[in-house]
Amino acid sequence: MSFLELRNVTRSFGKLAAVDDVSFNVEKGEVLGIVGPNGSGKTTLINLISGYYRPTRGNIYFEGKKISGLRPDQIASLGIIRTFQSNVLYEKASVIESMLISSKLQYKTSDWIAFLETKKYKDEHEKIVGKELETLQLLDLFNDTFMPAAGLSHGFQRLLGIAVALSGNPRVLLLDEPTTGMNYQEAMAVVDNIKKISEQGVTVILIEHNMKVLLDLATRVIVLSFGCKIADGEPHDVMNRQEVIEAYLGTETV
Amino acid sequence: MKGLMDRLRLVDWRSWVPRIVAAVPVFFIILIPAFTTNEATLSMLILTGIWAIAAMGFSLILRTGQFSLGQAAFMAVGAYASAILTVKVGLPFWPSFILAGVISGLIALLVGLMVLRVGGIYFSIITLSLTEIIRIIAQQWEDVTRGARGLITAPPPTTDLGFFSINFAASSVPYYYFMLILVTLTGLVFWQIGRTRLGGTFFSMAANQILSEHQGVHLMKYRVIAFTLAGIFTGLAGSLYAHYLTVITPLVFGLWQSIQIMLMSIVGGIGSLVAGPIIGAVLLYVLGIYLSRLPVFGIQQLLFGAVVVLVLVFLPKGTGIIDLWPKFWRKVYHEVEEYEIPGEVKPDEE
Repeated sequence: MSFLELRNVTRSFGKLAAVDDVSFNVEKGEVLGIVGPNGSGKTTLINLISGYYRPTRGNIYFEGKKISGLRPDQIASLGIIRTFQSNVLYEKASVIESMLISSKLQYKTSDWIAFLETKKYKDEHEKIVGKELETLQLLDLFNDTFMPAAGLSHGFQRLLGIAVALSGNPRVLLLDEPTTGMNYQEAMAVVDNIKKISEQGVTVILIEHNMKVLLDLATRVIVLSFGCKIADGEPHDVMNRQEVIEAYLGTETV
Repeated sequence: MKGLMDRLRLVDWRSWVPRIVAAVPVFFIILIPAFTTNEATLSMLILTGIWAIAAMGFSLILRTGQFSLGQAAFMAVGAYASAILTVKVGLPFWPSFILAGVISGLIALLVGLMVLRVGGIYFSIITLSLTEIIRIIAQQWEDVTRGARGLITAPPPTTDLGFFSINFAASSVPYYYFMLILVTLTGLVFWQIGRTRLGGTFFSMAANQILSEHQGVHLMKYRVIAFTLAGIFTGLAGSLYAHYLTVITPLVFGLWQSIQIMLMSIVGGIGSLVAGPIIGAVLLYVLGIYLSRLPVFGIQQLLFGAVVVLVLVFLPKGTGIIDLWPKFWRKVYHEVEEYEIPGEVKPDEE
């Protein structure tokens, strides 16, 4: 039984199969990179795992339990949390507020115990606020704790997206292009952060176009092209394969 | 690290002084019957309180990002439920009052389970139709509701507390305190919701539905919770309405009333769960009463509309009296000493 398993997953939009018969396993603690040219179905794959779409055919299993067909919030409560390709944030809230309102999944006390503010809830709340501040420190967002999310720069908004995902207490973190629109230093900072997250025992699935980032991070890479999986294996090895180069750059004989 | 935790916690004279100053009008409100027992004034205040409860319900639903245009329907359900239970079934007042809240809440729960899966504009349209459905049922089901002739209810019975007896039939003063208690209860429940995790979840749903769903919020469940809670308290307010006016007709809970509830909440201040709707209800209901005394027929709606439009144009977030309160105190502190306000973002620094 593998940790996360996709078995013959297909998602069609009309006649177009955005993800076509893709199967793979993810082991616990792995950093799995997903690459592929534009439109190859990477984000659709994340949408399928996180429950935003349901597979047309095939199933997704998490720890042996079928999760395809569940609602996004049910999948999130199992510990599979995603980030988004664009900056999807609680724009009106400040950084710490965003973290706290999305930390719902960390609480063991129910909403009604929280409503009554019993001692048990208060203790738990105190602990979780501390934990959120630690996450902010980990991601170098600590100085912006009270900044409104909409007022952060693009790079910090990307980081806040990851921070918000972390406040959902993930066991599997799905990162959809965490370094888009960042300069080299910012991207490298994100690489460090993802390494730290991975070291805490979180399994990471990562979509990335930046080869430097990908080769630094990924322990394994899957290549998609037109919705099909064309390669799967060790990053340096995969990126040198003929079919991968063809998918990205085209064939030599035009 | 520790410094920041201290900044998160606000235990300081600065947080107590504004509260004590805010308590002064509260005491004044409690003591109003000592200054005046004018029935017209008290009646206006009691009805303001009843509408304020409905407006708070609207604000709670709005907090989850949904726009309910059917809050008057729940007042109608509460009013008719307790009127029918006391007059036709013969139950005493207090159980009927509680049951009115329960029945109204159940209807909200059922309607919520049916339409809150999608939410958005569909929810608004369905709640809008709900207002009309309830009104038509009240009008047509003459055996039970007496239709347009109106249902006559009795005031709550005289309650003897030993040293003091509460006589609802004698004056409006007991109703006034009944209303105050109900508004306070609703306010406390909603305020507590707003400041605890449930409120945070509601806020996140309105702030970003997709993100909040992917962070483990079952959207429909929390929408239904908000809608049902609003239904319960609006139903209780409806019951008080029925037993205060002692006659209810289908016309008093129509589309206009639903829109009035919405306007009270919005004019009072979007984003405020308790104080905003109360202020909005006071402004609009009192305005409505004084406008209706003008001698020109039909001018009431015209001026009412004009005032609402002016408020929305010049104060799009509502009258914002609530927002001005902390700002005023920050200014006061600023003159007392240089003081760093926790949570305040100062763009000119760094």
